[in-house]
Amino acid sequence: MSHAGSSGGIASPGPVRSGGIDTGEESSLMGDLLFNFTEWLRNTPLNDVALAISESAPTLWIGEHFYAIPIFQVIHILAISASFAAVLMINARMLKLAGHSSLEDTTARYVRVLWWALLVLVLSGAAMIIGEPIRELINAVFWVKMILFVTAVLFTIWFHKGIAKRFTGSSEASGGAKLAGIVLVVLWCMIMTGGRWIAYNPG
Amino acid sequence: MSFYPEPTNIWESIEYSSLGTTIAESTWMFPTIETIHVIALVTVIGTIALVDLRLVGVKGHALRVSQLAKDTLPWTWGAFALAAITGLLLFVSKASSYMINPWFLAKLAMLALAGLNMMYFHMTTWRAVDHWELDPSFPTAAKIAGWLSLIFWLVVVFCGRMIGFTLGIFF
Repeated sequence: MSHAGSSGGIASPGPVRSGGIDTGEESSLMGDLLFNFTEWLRNTPLNDVALAISESAPTLWIGEHFYAIPIFQVIHILAISASFAAVLMINARMLKLAGHSSLEDTTARYVRVLWWALLVLVLSGAAMIIGEPIRELINAVFWVKMILFVTAVLFTIWFHKGIAKRFTGSSEASGGAKLAGIVLVVLWCMIMTGGRWIAYNPG
Repeated sequence: MSFYPEPTNIWESIEYSSLGTTIAESTWMFPTIETIHVIALVTVIGTIALVDLRLVGVKGHALRVSQLAKDTLPWTWGAFALAAITGLLLFVSKASSYMINPWFLAKLAMLALAGLNMMYFHMTTWRAVDHWELDPSFPTAAKIAGWLSLIFWLVVVFCGRMIGFTLGIFF
């Protein structure tokens, strides 16, 4: 499943082979932006925070236990699986791709799954930050992912407390509700993309 | 002009193919395919787990398990096809490293076990789902199939993650 991810490691783009080939792809606007953002992070007080965490007892303990980070990552992936499946199934119902229960029941069922999964996601994510504070906190992609995550949570609250309230007694979701659902799916795909690309952050 | 040595086995032949070298030499292709692989796998596991958890007795909703399966299965199969295609592309780019990695081999074995468990369950207990899905408790065989599926997929994720920490260290 994965290529990169060792402790503090930033993945190499590919195996070095005889006659190593320069593809000329290294320099890109996005790459430069992320590199500069990471460099900027390095010069903020966040760097001291990350260094302080890296010397704390929990971080040292995790560093001494090879399987700790992979186990946190597995828990994190399982929590994302639950969140994403919940968002997908709400969408499937709204878009009439699944139709075995009412809009209200479907939303109530999966929003509950979503909130519990988000809790596990945050806890396992926090454990990964404590495990590898510099790799995560001094990383532009990580902060892009965090912004996307907070956006997704706020969007979910709005969906749950606002849009879904109007599902009572109605058999069809409004255009706005469907759009909000699709935006949530896209946001989650972007969050997962960010999660994977933390390992490939330039800088 | 090829920059690669003559392949000495089938896995090197795959790895040194134009498809394999194109993915391996690119700075963005591997991570991009890997990202799609992760999104697909997350979808497979999430939708399967919804049914598995129901089978092992997690209640809380009135939806019949057969209806739940009908709602989730198209997503599971679609995502599985995407995970298989992207997984194959990742494999092609480093075939010889993957084939000597015990975590990769274990992941394949777990995928096979998950598939066999699902096939067996669908050919036996699931055939009579109409008769037992309204019962207060599901048959033991259904619960066992649900637990096995959850365990196999959990181990698939663990092995997949371990590949990232160990690829290239086995010779």
